[in-house]
Amino acid sequence: MAILRACGLRKEYGRGTGLVRAVDHVDLDVEAGETVAIVGPSGCGKSTLLHLLGGLERPTGGELRLADRRIDRMSETELARLRRQAIGFVFQAFQLVDELTALENVELPALLAGAGPRVARRRAVELLERVGLADRAAHLPAALSGGQRQRVAVARALVGRPYVVLADEPTGNLDSAATTEVLRLFAALRADGQTLLLVTHESRVAATADRVITMRDGALVGQTNLAGAGGGLGAFAGLEG
Amino acid sequence: MGVLTAVIRLALRDLRRRRTEALLLLIAIAATTTTLTVGLTVGGAADRPWDRTRAATAAPDAVATSARSADLTALANAPGVTGTAGPYPTVSVTDLRVRDVRVAAVVQGRDTATGPVDRPVVTAGGWVRRGGVVVERAFAHALKARPGDEITIAGRRLRVAGVAITAARVPYPSSTPGLVWTTRADLRLLGRPVTSHVMPIRLADPSTAPAFAAAHRNVRSWQDMGAYATAELHLVNQALLTGTWALALLAVACVAVLVGGRLADQIRRVGLLKAVGATPRLVAVVLLAEHLLVALAAAAVGLFAGWAAAPALARPSTGLLATGRPDLTPGSAVIVVAVALAVTGAATLVPAVRGARTSTVRALAGPARAPRRSPRLVALSARLPVPLLLGVRLAVRRPRRAVLALVSLAITGAMVVSAIALNGDITRKDARTTGIMFVPGAPNPVTEQVDHVVFVITFALLALAAVNAVLIAWATSLDSRRPTALARALGATPGQVTAGLSAAQLFPAALAGTLAIPLGLAVYAGARAAGGASGGGAIPYAWLPAVIPGTLVAVALLTALPVRMAGRRPVAEVLRAE
Amino acid sequence: MQDVVLALLAKEPSHGYELRARLQEALGPMGDALNAGQVYVTLTRLEKAGLVTAEHVGQAHRPDRKVYALTADGRRRVDAWLADLTWGKPSEFHLKLVAAAAARLADPVDLVEAQRRELLRRLADVQRAALIEPDGSAAALLIEGITLRLEADLRWLDACARHWDRKG
Repeated sequence: MAILRACGLRKEYGRGTGLVRAVDHVDLDVEAGETVAIVGPSGCGKSTLLHLLGGLERPTGGELRLADRRIDRMSETELARLRRQAIGFVFQAFQLVDELTALENVELPALLAGAGPRVARRRAVELLERVGLADRAAHLPAALSGGQRQRVAVARALVGRPYVVLADEPTGNLDSAATTEVLRLFAALRADGQTLLLVTHESRVAATADRVITMRDGALVGQTNLAGAGGGLGAFAGLEG
Repeated sequence: MGVLTAVIRLALRDLRRRRTEALLLLIAIAATTTTLTVGLTVGGAADRPWDRTRAATAAPDAVATSARSADLTALANAPGVTGTAGPYPTVSVTDLRVRDVRVAAVVQGRDTATGPVDRPVVTAGGWVRRGGVVVERAFAHALKARPGDEITIAGRRLRVAGVAITAARVPYPSSTPGLVWTTRADLRLLGRPVTSHVMPIRLADPSTAPAFAAAHRNVRSWQDMGAYATAELHLVNQALLTGTWALALLAVACVAVLVGGRLADQIRRVGLLKAVGATPRLVAVVLLAEHLLVALAAAAVGLFAGWAAAPALARPSTGLLATGRPDLTPGSAVIVVAVALAVTGAATLVPAVRGARTSTVRALAGPARAPRRSPRLVALSARLPVPLLLGVRLAVRRPRRAVLALVSLAITGAMVVSAIALNGDITRKDARTTGIMFVPGAPNPVTEQVDHVVFVITFALLALAAVNAVLIAWATSLDSRRPTALARALGATPGQVTAGLSAAQLFPAALAGTLAIPLGLAVYAGARAAGGASGGGAIPYAWLPAVIPGTLVAVALLTALPVRMAGRRPVAEVLRAE
Repeated sequence: MQDVVLALLAKEPSHGYELRARLQEALGPMGDALNAGQVYVTLTRLEKAGLVTAEHVGQAHRPDRKVYALTADGRRRVDAWLADLTWGKPSEFHLKLVAAAAARLADPVDLVEAQRRELLRRLADVQRAALIEPDGSAAALLIEGITLRLEADLRWLDACARHWDRKG
């Protein structure tokens, strides 16, 4: 069953000759437990699509369902409540609160959702362990490496046990070692059955998904299924022949 | 030379780019300089009406009063006395009537020819004659008595022959009852016993008058009388100078918020200037120059406005000769300019120096000042409902701004409290001026003017505090753009974010309201002590707690707009802008 | 080289000189290294393998020239080549696209897309290996090298897609 379903989703900016179709009639189904990557050149509308899917922006038209609930017509307040329970966000620039420690950053959404401080703390500790940063709990973001910061952000996204984690260029600010660090975490999440939707322009990140969807000029133009892939690596090393 | 051109050009360009901010800055400083100018002008000219009146009326240096005229004859021969007049017999009556008004009065019997000392200046009508009395001008003013009016004293019907000014007695109502002159014959015809005899005295050295007065019984020096005669001007001056202090502090807060609010932008600009080769000192100079230019303009505005407003805010007693528009002395002008520069400099210096010291690369890279972290408050706020949680965390990110808000509101609150206290005192005093000694229905020119000035100052303070509150809310919502957008991405509703931003404004406001009460009472007690007032005053304590909810409601209303705008800002846009 | 020449012949029978000119046009400055002999040697080999036939055409004032044409076997070989997703040098894939477009054998955009999918699949395999490989191992370094190559190739395929998309 599709956990996230978009039907004819549109987002337009401006009017008349200045009209920009940032997202142009997108149909998309994301199955529960699936990892989907959306790739495309910058400015193709993939970030806007992600914001629409996460309820950070309102679509101009089309239908959007999350776990069978229509979310495209929700009020700002309803969307905020939805984000607390159903959606986790990971951003390119980490978007951690600089003056809060790793642990405090992770427990923030739980507190915003009205959880008691003790419950929130317990959940945050658990998640920091999950992302392998239990020993960095008291560090401020400035004292963490890029990869560690993004792992904290992932832990934060998981606090509300979301149906789907939406990641916008999650490795955009990271070097290759840190990218691998974050991708390992995503792989572990996938193994646990977490649904993940990534927007990226890095093919190595997209390659870790079950499905890679190409976006161009606001529309989805192609898709590659990687779920069944798997062959020898010898070919790449140029060992045969 | 080229450097100077660059400094001025950069300063002017930046000001032109931020007209609204420059204007607010100008208003804040001009409010201070105007009040200061009025205060200095009024204070500097406060003694002049009395001096002019003394010169015009051959005023005595001391006035002796005694029940027996023989005592006065002896005093006339005391050492240092070079001339006397009278003694003049006086009768105290409680039944002077003009039209349907009845009031007490002191009636002094005079010769139709004036003596060598104390020659009242007749400003309307003529001097005493048979059946014709002369009324002291301030008293006549309260009685609305004009030459030709009928006046009844102790049952005898007389006419008002004239209105005159004297420096031998403090004008009504600073001394009561009011003074009326008659001929000695008319005084006798009243058929009342003589209450006392009055003798104006000229001394060889007028400056020895206080010593002379202290050495003899029932003698008042001209200096003592002068202090009472010009009481309204001195009180107004004192209120204005107190108000100047408060306004100056608010202006500092205002400038600091404006400068701090644009610090991010400013520091990036500093980085840019440094990158093109400006020295740290030059950078600091540009920042200072920009604000000092505004300060100079504000000083000019203040000097002119204060000079124009002074006569309207402070009028000498009608019992004294007018002296025309008080002048603005060069000394006062220098003080006003210095204060304007000091206020601006104090608030700009720290950011200017900090900006100048910032490393170029860091400045270009962006965020001005890392927000503060306070682990205890973060932990504490976790226990609070979401809006308060956000509020506490937003407030503690910028402790300096919260302190500015606190100071600004506390000062305003304190001044409002002391204005309420003063008003209570004045009401009580006015209530006491309803006896037979006072003309019924006539306003008290002394308390009226003080009241007026306090009202104007309080209004200016409230306006400035309102500007500060809005600016602080604006600056806070500007630099908490990212955290609030993030909170919303993580599931906070726009309502919660708005409430949180509002709470961030209300915490300092609540504290300020609470502090304002004792602070205001202390200011008032201090002012009373400085003014030599005795007793506890009549402070309406029951009203004072209303200052706290009043402050909260005012701040909530004032900050509603910037805060609401911030709460509704599209999240994606803010997060994308990183 | 053989495949490229065959694909160019799929458009229309040509003689060696024309083939060389077309190759040089497609390769630009890279084509300077291509000498006439190479093309003729290749054609001779193809003829021996029965993939092309040569026909002598008389000319008015010059010696006769050989015009080459595809045989049925040659045609099959071209189709197989176009469907083959083996990834070699960029110049080979580039010539494949040029030839496919010239002979209207296939839509270059589709070829790019198929190749892109193939490379993405390979990258997926490599990444799977990368994520289980401990940091700092010698193999991890090799894997990083392969990853970077594949990423660069995929980025170039994006550029190919854009180029042929505009042309089509």
